[in-house]
Amino acid sequence: MAAHLDWAPVRLEALTRLFETKESWPEHWHWDWSKKADLLDLLAYRCMGIECEGHLQGLMMTSTIAKNSRLRPRGKAILYIEYIESAPWNLKALVENPKYSGVGIALLEAAIEFSEEEGFGGRIGLHSLPQSEEFYRNYMTDMGPDPDHAEGLRYFEMSAEQARAFLEGRK
Amino acid sequence: MALETTKRTMTLNLTEKEMQVLESLSAQKDLTKTAVIRQALRLYQLVDHRLMKGEKLFFEDQAKRQAELMVMM
Repeated sequence: MAAHLDWAPVRLEALTRLFETKESWPEHWHWDWSKKADLLDLLAYRCMGIECEGHLQGLMMTSTIAKNSRLRPRGKAILYIEYIESAPWNLKALVENPKYSGVGIALLEAAIEFSEEEGFGGRIGLHSLPQSEEFYRNYMTDMGPDPDHAEGLRYFEMSAEQARAFLEGRK
Repeated sequence: MALETTKRTMTLNLTEKEMQVLESLSAQKDLTKTAVIRQALRLYQLVDHRLMKGEKLFFEDQAKRQAELMVMM
């Protein structure tokens, strides 16, 4: 996948630098988008990206099945975000001056719009890596650590009302 | 962000009982009947894809942690 090839050299350079300075690096670095591409043959999965200046600035993979809302009203269909990531040159943790800011927010907006198109009312959900929890708390409800998640990550959900408020705030 | 929007129309013939189930799921999930059918197709494809790869499908009981092997034709 193009993102993997495009982002890999920047990641490697930053990884080396952060390792030498003993700083921590983003937890999603083990994600290899080329290995996720196979899922895109399935109807349930969709990949969305933001492209600017000929480069992917952020990527997101969503799933439309097997997840129901945990917020009230419970049991309704939601759009689940399997993976979401900004390009390494847009991450404050890696570069002093990120090239583009707001990539994560723009991807969340796209997820809400897709959820609405699917008839899910804008409801979305995801499991957050610890480094991103604060970001998601700004827009979504923190449902706490998920005992059913393999890595015990915290589950965040956005209700239809929260989604509407989010989109209003973006106008 | 541009999403695929081209759709084709088909007529679906269901028995009374199948239609009742579809309407019930539609109300329960707050989805249109088309969206329920679309979700079912996605799920069927995913399960079939994984079974064809040699994986197995289990349902796990939350309280007893009992696993039941599901067979899909």
